[in-house]
Amino acid sequence: MSAEASAEHGHDHDDHHHDLPFYKKYIWSTDHKVIGIQYGITALLFLAFGFFLMMVMRWSIAYPEEPLPGYLSWIFSDEWKARWLQDGRVTGDTYNMFGAMHGTIMVFLGIVPLGFAAFGNFVTPLQIGTVDMAFPRLNMVSYWLYLVGGLTMCASFFMESGAAKSGWTNYSPLANFADGQIVNQFLAGQTQWLLGMVFLISSSLLGAVNFLTTLINLRAKGMTWMRMPFFCWAMLVTGFLLLLAFPPLEVAAIMQLMDRTVGSSFFMPSGLYTSGAGVIEASGGGSPLLYQHLFWFLGHPEVYVLLLPAIACVAEIIPVNTRKPLWGYKPMVWSIVILGFLSFIVWAHHMYLTGMGPVISTWFQTTTVLISVPSVILLTSMIVSLWGGSIRFNVPMLWAVAFLPMFGIGGLTGLPLAFNLVDLHLHDTYYVIGHFHYVVAPGILFGLFAGIYHWYPKITGRHMDTFLGHLHFWPSLVFMNVLFFPMLVQGMAGFHRRWYNGGDAYLSKAAGSENIFGNTVAEWIHLNPIMTFGAFMLALAQIPFFINFWLSIFVGKKIKNDNPYDATTLEWATPTPPPHGNFTFDVAAYRGPYEYSREDHEGDFYPQWEEPKRDKPAKEPKPEPAQ
Amino acid sequence: MEIPYTVTARKDTGLFNSKVGIWLFLASEVMLFGGLFSGYVFLRIYADYPWPERALPIVPGLINTFVLIGSSVTVVFAWAALKMREWRRFQIFMGITIACAGMFMVLKGIEYKAKWEHQAVRMDDFAIIEGHAHYGAVMENGEVDHFHTKLEAKKAGGGKPFKTNKILFRPATIDFSVVRAHEPWIAEMLEQAGKRKSKLVTSGDVFFYGHIEDYSGTESDPLTGKDRAKQEAKIVKEFGKAEENLARKFGKNSLYIPAGTPLDYGLIKKARKAYIAGRAHNAETRTAILKENWRRVKEILPEKEYWEQAPVAKIDAATQLDEQFDDQGNCVSGSKVVSLVSTLSFRMDPPQPLVIKRSWIKRPVKAKDGKAELRDDTTLSAGDDQDQGAGLLASPVALSVDAIDFRWMAQKAEEAGKEPMEVIEQSWIFSKDNKHHGDYEQIWKVHKKRIGELEQELADKYGKDAEGKPKRVPTETDRYRVTWQDLVHYARAKKDSLMPGDAGFDELRPKFWDGFAGPNHKDEEIHKLHAFPELEVPHHKVSMQSMFTPKWNTYYAIYFTLTGLHGLHVIGGAIVLGYFLFFSKGLYRRNPEWLANRVEIGGLFWHFVDLVWIFLFPILYLM
Repeated sequence: MSAEASAEHGHDHDDHHHDLPFYKKYIWSTDHKVIGIQYGITALLFLAFGFFLMMVMRWSIAYPEEPLPGYLSWIFSDEWKARWLQDGRVTGDTYNMFGAMHGTIMVFLGIVPLGFAAFGNFVTPLQIGTVDMAFPRLNMVSYWLYLVGGLTMCASFFMESGAAKSGWTNYSPLANFADGQIVNQFLAGQTQWLLGMVFLISSSLLGAVNFLTTLINLRAKGMTWMRMPFFCWAMLVTGFLLLLAFPPLEVAAIMQLMDRTVGSSFFMPSGLYTSGAGVIEASGGGSPLLYQHLFWFLGHPEVYVLLLPAIACVAEIIPVNTRKPLWGYKPMVWSIVILGFLSFIVWAHHMYLTGMGPVISTWFQTTTVLISVPSVILLTSMIVSLWGGSIRFNVPMLWAVAFLPMFGIGGLTGLPLAFNLVDLHLHDTYYVIGHFHYVVAPGILFGLFAGIYHWYPKITGRHMDTFLGHLHFWPSLVFMNVLFFPMLVQGMAGFHRRWYNGGDAYLSKAAGSENIFGNTVAEWIHLNPIMTFGAFMLALAQIPFFINFWLSIFVGKKIKNDNPYDATTLEWATPTPPPHGNFTFDVAAYRGPYEYSREDHEGDFYPQWEEPKRDKPAKEPKPEPAQ
Repeated sequence: MEIPYTVTARKDTGLFNSKVGIWLFLASEVMLFGGLFSGYVFLRIYADYPWPERALPIVPGLINTFVLIGSSVTVVFAWAALKMREWRRFQIFMGITIACAGMFMVLKGIEYKAKWEHQAVRMDDFAIIEGHAHYGAVMENGEVDHFHTKLEAKKAGGGKPFKTNKILFRPATIDFSVVRAHEPWIAEMLEQAGKRKSKLVTSGDVFFYGHIEDYSGTESDPLTGKDRAKQEAKIVKEFGKAEENLARKFGKNSLYIPAGTPLDYGLIKKARKAYIAGRAHNAETRTAILKENWRRVKEILPEKEYWEQAPVAKIDAATQLDEQFDDQGNCVSGSKVVSLVSTLSFRMDPPQPLVIKRSWIKRPVKAKDGKAELRDDTTLSAGDDQDQGAGLLASPVALSVDAIDFRWMAQKAEEAGKEPMEVIEQSWIFSKDNKHHGDYEQIWKVHKKRIGELEQELADKYGKDAEGKPKRVPTETDRYRVTWQDLVHYARAKKDSLMPGDAGFDELRPKFWDGFAGPNHKDEEIHKLHAFPELEVPHHKVSMQSMFTPKWNTYYAIYFTLTGLHGLHVIGGAIVLGYFLFFSKGLYRRNPEWLANRVEIGGLFWHFVDLVWIFLFPILYLM
């Protein structure tokens, strides 16, 4: 921005922003960094809440006949307990409610906001060398819509109906009738879920438009597409996924909302009968399959919306800490673009059991197998990037390195599920749960933890404590596996994912009978308490992180300079923490993002922003200023 | 700090920020409407009922199409005017654009209103009757009658007139769930009872036990087994004086409601509070018992499997919940659990008809059940007074019929391998049970004759194929659906004593621009000709009824969803364009190019809205 320009417009924001009152600076903020932090902290709180719901469920699975222990039940009021627990035990309804909300909260309110919105907001504009997002006020609106949507959903826990109970997928017609007894359907948990979803979808839509516009139009001078850090590429693809995949879910939500509130029959076949209401007085003629198609058209790209930001964080951390360029940057970029495209045409592999027909199943089986190719390229490139590096095993690097095999397990266990025939057996078992939790929890979450530890110094000016970091990392790594690995075993033995008592009720009925299925359940049911133990230990392992996260703001080791890792990408060229407007000099990118250990350059890194020395003829082509 | 490229375009992309933004946004809008259009295709392909083809009046839709196209042109002119810095011209063209948006919404509103007033009934034999519902009124003496208009009903009856698609029930008792009873419904029932000089009072004494904190079951406790009944009796006797003692003796929030207390929502709310307190007390007590049981089971049976321990740990209702007394009648163990009352029962005195909306009903009401269950767990029951006229009253859907549709019935007949015409002629509407059957037989006679003529005409015009079958035949819709145009046509012919085939018969048919948004029941001529005959469909023949709202079938559901969302886009777009017109003079003075940019992206959005309508019009109105 030139001096003339600001004089011309008569109001110079630059001079005033330090005097902004607290609420404008930190609450109604339009600064991408503050919004990123808001997103991050809110998402971490939602993650903690989702984790808590999971602990209640895990208790119910391991000890279905016992009252919840005091350390889980203290949070509920006496009246809430009387309504939702039976003699202190978790009931099927309550388990369903917690299950549905655990999924929803973790996916829509936890990981996506943390990965895409928080990291994306904070890091992207810095990495492409611009002052802010393209539409800062829209950015603020995104955050507030997200918060309102999340709170709307969670408020329903305290309503007469309780929160949504039909699984995070909310399949119709089950979800159409859920809470059907509630007179004012707008105050039913299921409807609240849909309304909350409309807010969340609007939020991600605005976010996606904002990110994409920023990446397309606001890159700094010389920041060509192929000089963009891989992180930004991942954000670009994620943005497109959100932009194009969410609207069909919005359609599904609107239709289900219509079915629930005005009595339409979009998802209700003719002649439907329920035990509660007899033959439903509705027109019928609708299609439950339509809901599933609309849902999974979002649902599958959503998986990559979760995953790509985590891969992005890891891909940034590996080159910094191995001191060598990211291996195969270009193939990775192409892989991620192809991955994004393919993710739109694999959705029905979630629907093999719906009876949509073998021809369609075969097509989706093929595309699903295809999509593993770019995924493997990404993972392999990152593993090869480690080869021959002088690796600094600081805390972010630990998480990043652990991400690789953990995500690998998650990905590879997905392959059998891609095949129609195998899926017939494994569908809706704990194998599926184990598979996608390996992707999301030790996979994606590890990547995001890596990101938090990595960029924390840029955000606060202080490092997070290393000892507490180790205390967080090692138990998390161990107990993630204690929690999730047995799920794969149980799943293959036929444990169903919706057994709120972990197979116990099934077993007590089958006891003494020669039922083969019952016997396999008996063999593996002992894993339930072990997994529950793993979950509770995992909760304990997050305490050091919590302490570390808040305390290090005040007492963490101060960073030595603005670029403590000797990194090359532009976010390290700013003052710490970056001020409103980010850069203090006219920033430009003179070379690719990962110029480490170049032989023709002294020192082991060559930052993007460093101007080529004049006495040596520059090897790089002169930057083409975008403007 | 200034965001670059808000006004000027970036060189390598050639776009300013908001233009990139709007194209991305429109891409996502394409996915939104794409999803809905896919939904339309899916629903239409898989529909198991005759999809209503060309069911909507075309004229308003056609006008709206041109209105929107016109506004898309004027919004471009408005943008061009800004580019040329002609504020006045901009104002004019933008004004026209917004006026077009307004006109579009007005026409849409007229269409919507017509559908909201149009009643449809699906009978249990799949005949579909369309028309305008009559209005009913409950007379002073409790009799029910119905009338053509609201005004007539108002003049004749005591209570509020109601559309005859409601259910009339004369309850002897009404049971309310204390937790779930819905306040507005109670108010409505009280209002109706009051109008008909009837009262709702509790049928018996009720005790609610609240949250008892100190219930040790010792000698000093007033609630030992034998005493409880005594205590209750004492409180009943001293009621009024003893209310304070209630809380002490029966726990916090406990409540005594004597017989004959009149219904009001406050009473239910108090009962709810007591119930919830009692429930919390019970839950706490039982949880403590179960925890203790498990502790002991794990001590005595440590080796057993979990599912073998569970039955042992289970609360034993006989020993752990029932009161155990010693010789002196003192409670020694168990029964820290209070008994819960979850419904409050009221007598209706004397029983009078209540008008109940169908949306209140939990499951279909049948006369033989003698009760009606509402969605808030309220139960209206006839009780023993059934002989004295309590219970479900005749609740026919009475209407002036403007269309009769046998297509679904014909489809069902064909599926069952029967001759459709025969099945149709045996349907209820032509039977002696229908007191208006004469009207309908007459209409059907004319209709059949006319279709016969049409069949002949088509055969003559298009000839026969190799197998001797006519190349063209009347459509299913022609054959099995008697439209409002048909009804008017036949009524006019009847007046002139013309039959199909007679000269001048065809000229009597209404023209396509008649009835702008469908049949007009207020039309003088139609009224005089009595073109839309009356019908009373008895309650037990109605398998489904609705206005022409999303509820009626999936076609109307997708119609309202698509056009409703499109309408919201029109309104949203008009608000944004209106903002540019009325509140942007300042920006125009300061930075006219910026305003031009804004109008450009507003215009792009407006074009998209127009484009959506261009797809909507044919798929909803023409196909």
